[in-house]
Amino acid sequence: MLTKFESKSSRAKGLAFHPKRPWILVSLHSSTIQLWDYRMGTLIDRFEEHDGPVRGIDFHKTQPLFVSGGDDYKIKVWSYQTRRCLFTLNGHLDYVRTVFFHHELPWILSSSDDQTIRIWNWQNRSLICTMTGHNHYTMCAQFHPKEDLIVSASLDQSVRVWDISGLRKKHSAPTSMTFEDQMARANPNQADMFGNTDAVVKFVLEGHDRGVNWVAFHPTLPLIVSAGDDRLVKLWRMSETKAWEVDTCRGHFQNVSACLFHPHQDLILSVGEDKCIRVWDLNKRTSVQSFKRENDRFWVIAAHPEINLFAAGHDNGVMVFKLERERPASAVYQNQLFYITKEKHVRSYDFSKNVESPPMLSLKKLGSPWVPPRSLSYNPAERAILVTSPTDGGTYELITLPRDATGAVEPTDTKRGSGTSAVFVARNRFAVFNQASQQIDIRDLSNSTTKTIKPPHGTVDICFGGTGCLLLITATSVVLYDIQQKQHLAELSVNGVKYVVWSTDGLHAALLSKHNVTIVTKSLEQISTLHETIRIKSATWDDAGVLLYSTLNHIKYTLMNGDNGIVRTLEHTVYLVRVKGKSIYCLDRAAKPRILTIDPTEYRFKLALIKRDYDEMLNIIKTSSLVGQSIISYLQKKGYPEIALQFVQDPQTRFELAIECGNLDVAVEMARQLDRPKLWTRLSTEALAHGNHPIVEMAYQKLHSFDKLSFLYLSTGDKDKLTRMAKIAEHRGDMTSRFQNALYLGDVRSRVDILRELDLYPLAYMTAKSHGLGDECQTILEASGLSEEEIILPSEGKPVSPPRAIVPTFQSKWPVKITSSSTFQKALLGEGGEEETTPGTNGIGEEDLLEADAAVHQNGHLEEGEDEDAAGWDMGDENVVEAGGDLVDVDNTEGGAGSSEAELWSRNSPIAADHVAGGSYETAMQLLNRQIGAVNFKPLDNRFQEIYQASRTFLPANAGLPPLVNYVRRTLKETDSRKVLPLISRDLESISAGELQLGKTQMRTKKLEDGVKTFKKLLRLLMLNAVSSQREVEEAKNMISIAAQYALAMSIELHRRSLTGGSTDLASFSDDIKKRSLELSAYFTVPELEPAHVTLALFSAMNFANKNKQFSSALSFANALIEKGTNAKFKDNARKIKSVCERNPTDVIDIEFDQFGEFDICAASYTPIYGGEPSTACPYDGSKYHSKYKGTVCKICEVAQIGAPASGLRLFV
Amino acid sequence: MDPYSVEGELVNIHTTFHQAQYRTVVDFDTSSFSPSNTLPARVLKLRAQIALGNYDEAVSDVEGEESTPDLAAVKAFAEYSKDPWDSEETIQAVEQLVQQEPDNLNVQLLCGSVLANVGRKDEALALLSRHQGSLDAVALIVQIYLQQNRTDLAAKEAKSARGFAQDSLLVNLAESWVGLREGGEKYQQAFYVFEELAQAPASTSPTSLIAQAVAELHLGRLPEAEVALQQALEKQPENPDAIANSIVLNAILGNETEELRARLGTVAAKHEFLVGVEARREAFAAACERYDPKFEP
Repeated sequence: MLTKFESKSSRAKGLAFHPKRPWILVSLHSSTIQLWDYRMGTLIDRFEEHDGPVRGIDFHKTQPLFVSGGDDYKIKVWSYQTRRCLFTLNGHLDYVRTVFFHHELPWILSSSDDQTIRIWNWQNRSLICTMTGHNHYTMCAQFHPKEDLIVSASLDQSVRVWDISGLRKKHSAPTSMTFEDQMARANPNQADMFGNTDAVVKFVLEGHDRGVNWVAFHPTLPLIVSAGDDRLVKLWRMSETKAWEVDTCRGHFQNVSACLFHPHQDLILSVGEDKCIRVWDLNKRTSVQSFKRENDRFWVIAAHPEINLFAAGHDNGVMVFKLERERPASAVYQNQLFYITKEKHVRSYDFSKNVESPPMLSLKKLGSPWVPPRSLSYNPAERAILVTSPTDGGTYELITLPRDATGAVEPTDTKRGSGTSAVFVARNRFAVFNQASQQIDIRDLSNSTTKTIKPPHGTVDICFGGTGCLLLITATSVVLYDIQQKQHLAELSVNGVKYVVWSTDGLHAALLSKHNVTIVTKSLEQISTLHETIRIKSATWDDAGVLLYSTLNHIKYTLMNGDNGIVRTLEHTVYLVRVKGKSIYCLDRAAKPRILTIDPTEYRFKLALIKRDYDEMLNIIKTSSLVGQSIISYLQKKGYPEIALQFVQDPQTRFELAIECGNLDVAVEMARQLDRPKLWTRLSTEALAHGNHPIVEMAYQKLHSFDKLSFLYLSTGDKDKLTRMAKIAEHRGDMTSRFQNALYLGDVRSRVDILRELDLYPLAYMTAKSHGLGDECQTILEASGLSEEEIILPSEGKPVSPPRAIVPTFQSKWPVKITSSSTFQKALLGEGGEEETTPGTNGIGEEDLLEADAAVHQNGHLEEGEDEDAAGWDMGDENVVEAGGDLVDVDNTEGGAGSSEAELWSRNSPIAADHVAGGSYETAMQLLNRQIGAVNFKPLDNRFQEIYQASRTFLPANAGLPPLVNYVRRTLKETDSRKVLPLISRDLESISAGELQLGKTQMRTKKLEDGVKTFKKLLRLLMLNAVSSQREVEEAKNMISIAAQYALAMSIELHRRSLTGGSTDLASFSDDIKKRSLELSAYFTVPELEPAHVTLALFSAMNFANKNKQFSSALSFANALIEKGTNAKFKDNARKIKSVCERNPTDVIDIEFDQFGEFDICAASYTPIYGGEPSTACPYDGSKYHSKYKGTVCKICEVAQIGAPASGLRLFV
Repeated sequence: MDPYSVEGELVNIHTTFHQAQYRTVVDFDTSSFSPSNTLPARVLKLRAQIALGNYDEAVSDVEGEESTPDLAAVKAFAEYSKDPWDSEETIQAVEQLVQQEPDNLNVQLLCGSVLANVGRKDEALALLSRHQGSLDAVALIVQIYLQQNRTDLAAKEAKSARGFAQDSLLVNLAESWVGLREGGEKYQQAFYVFEELAQAPASTSPTSLIAQAVAELHLGRLPEAEVALQQALEKQPENPDAIANSIVLNAILGNETEELRARLGTVAAKHEFLVGVEARREAFAAACERYDPKFEP
């Protein structure tokens, strides 16, 4: 039994679970009703209106109501929302013992010491039925969960079943009433002597020898259980017509106070004044479990209607408990989950396929029938499981899993023993911990002890601690123990650890206790810890090192640095076993595997942030909608306002963030949008700190702070603006401002004017005088009617003029404070920039043109027969077989030695690459020579070496002897020496993702020299390779021809450039060169490339022709481009050129390029080979040549001999 | 009592030696050993010195005690290991020892190793087969069979050893060596053994990490192999086998290996790997000779 909650109070007489919330109502002998949250362990409310003990209590199933009945004879109905008693039902004449709501009708059933049972309607608050018949206190009365029945128990030693269908009829909505019904209603007085037809006694069950305290219906079966002062629990069965006693459960040695049926299992629970809770098997009526309290007599028991929880009230409070653990025992290994179902079957679940296996084993005989196994440990090497069960102080069994899951068979060969916990610690060892004797045995697979360890005092559990180690868990600490060395490696004090969850890489572990998660390294150094108020149930590691854990109602994550958050809420408790992408795999309480989807974006993002993995962050920002206040405040808190800026739309927040990270451009933009003086003020301050005075200026302008503006202009030395400020001041009529500006400008005359305007003649005079402005002095004197002599002046100082600006600061910004432009921002910018430029980087398109005059040409075809290209391959498949047999020369055994695996490879395979791996270069070359006519092997030197090097590992064995050479295979599962084959480095996929993509990129970015190299390398990689299916052979051949076409195309273009030195204007070259380069530019469009790349070639050829007045050619290319082009900009250009060229469709130089003819390009001479003309080809890559090149080495692959007889490349055995 | 049995004095130092934790062996406190175990313990320590490359220390340690055949064998082995390419005299000494004391276990082990190293494998096998239930000898025999590519005989030898030594470390190791030749499921089993050694803090050593990495390479788990090799190189940056296997790994991944090869060249110029590569280079040149490509003028 597992206690989940205990309260301390006076005697608890009544109990009721809330059907949905984790609440329990407790009515006490002290007249109080308590409402507890048993999950959080808090008292939510107290209701104190009864006078004297409260014995009956019940929650309404759907409404926010509950009912109570007490020794004050009163029944009260309460609302727990308004926390008030709504009304009181008076009528009983003695103590009320129990009260219950009907499951659907608005009825309350009460039983009382006044010997009656009453039914009340709580909607109109009336008594609707009084049932009399018991002739002593009625202790309990309950509605049947489905039918119109009531069962009651009384101290008159009887249990009665009442039929209330009449009552239901009477109170249900009046439907069409038959005449008989009306008659019956009119004369409702025949049924019993008290004139009651609504409720009639159906059965009287007699069997108890003393008073009966409690009675209950079975939720589904026609069974009744009762408990009495005769210390017995009796089971009764009823049919339509009769009811009889089935059996008696004997065991309580004092009065039994209450009893009930288990809602889901075939069990009976009873509590009594003997201080015991007893659990009985419903079918055998035998005692299954009992639990004794030291001092407290039990008075009442209640079951949660849905989840597996019970509550029992005793002399000093209430306890909420479970009968058994609901955590299914499970273990994860790689892609498999092994778990034990409720039927005690072992099953597995495959994460990669998402399928559940059929049952593999039945563990029915393990432990006792009502106790589920506690833990499961899996050993992949032996395919064995170790199961523990808490029965009899703990037992374990070691069972080998059957190879195939064929059904729930009983295991045949099991080893067992006693122990609290048992885990595998190595391939062939497991540890068994016995808590009672405080001893750990290390046992081998035959279950014999090989070693014994004395764990530290108070050890409660052991867990796997990494290879060869154990984690010993005590109440207050965890110890890492090395089994071999028999010593403590480390100790960490953590309270109450219950479970340990290892990360997949085995480098970290999470220690779970009830309310804490502690993350440690494999050497038990604490990394972080966190506290949860809600109970922690389980945890599992993401591959990226994020711990996901579940509480009773949430799935949460925590990063290594302790940052945590909620991933999703849970309706039911689950036990996490695995995370894969957006799926969380878990087991529910019914031990069913379930998949929950989560959004990992938030924690992935935070993880990327911590690891400063900007690419990942960028990726997340781009691909998912990561918004919300929490992430923004997280970023801000962690000091990444510039990143937070990327997420925010709200201008106010954007402004704040921009200010924080000093991104003034954004701040200005936002300030403009919002246009609030407060923001401009802040912006001006910030911009001033940055020395970005244009923004300061703008902000001041917006704010109309003229004084500040003037001073800004003064300090930046912007005299023009200052003058303008003076004008504005004049315009505004603001004398102070005018004067100020005049001062700044050093403009004495206007100062004098201002003073005069203000009638401050003395000051004006002084100013004029001191600056030696005699004429002004004169006018002032005249205006004031004074002469110079009449004025006594104080001694004058020297006139001061404002300093002149030496540096025109206003023209540029001040040395600016470095804005924190993070790598991330750069990455963002870089990315943005790249996007913009991608079309432009098409290099080839960059030659400009637009100013075309006239002239037109026509366009040719660009289709080309592919069939001919494949000629080299077609003959391949028939006569390849010979390769394998006769080529291998076996130099056999000297002395007792055998032949090495490398030699076997050459024997087993007709693939050249396998011979290279085997070190048999000579035969490899022979094979290549036959298959593809290879003659020039120099370029393959590197590839030979690469393959050879990748084929042998060096295993250090005995000290003093050289390492053992082992041979790396691609046939991992194969042990037949006639079938083993070597690993060949660089599989098709890696080449396709590597060289092929690289080459195409180089084409696009105009890096032709590199591109040719890349494609030639690709050809060599494929020449010596091995693939795993016929389909891949086709793919490889396809790739070879693509590479050959690209290599050819790039070579042609390179040749053209070498002729003209890259110049686009041919005017300065001889006619020969002109003609040749125009031809080459046309031929460049012939090889079969991707449409986007053909577009590039056409565009380049069109421009080149156009520029060199080959209008006819240009026109034809333009037409082709319009027809096939993939780039809108290029097409526009083509249309322009077309319209120009159509006016004069002639070529200045006649070139050899027939746009309508079908032809190939000779890869040696770069001249056309027309259909019907004799030609030859490279047997490997299919490049075409004029027949005069036959016998030389192919220009493209540089290995094969042109026109050599060849059987075709073998890549697959 | 068998000193190598579970409770024996020698078991720990012996296990440590075979876990390739040579430094720990050298530092092992053997002062409390009973007199009968002192010599075997000393030989183990000397062998550990040799494995660490401290040949001169080993030689000087036994100087003047050549009358004890065990120590004489140690000396011969140390001298051979110090300079395997100039070892005429040493080999004569070895031959003499084998003649005189063919039943001394240490003579069998050490001289057997020397003979196997100079290519006289059949002689080495004959000598080693005289052992009396020594797992060290079995391990050597297994390795020599494997060098001769007689996986079948090696497997038989390992199996017979399991008969009398059950789950001993050396038997597990020997089976794993064989398993890496046999392949299939044996790869995984070998991996378990090596991983157990390599990952437990008490038994880890560069050698066992390399072994783990090799098993992972054979299982095609390249990232894991890389991690293990990194760990080995962290423990011992100059370990030639670790470097050699890193080259293999990088070659499989298609990476450039030039730099690693140069590094291997500086630490162990005569490593199997380099010898093999050089031989292949010559073979390539020779094989190319047969062809006479014509190039277009």
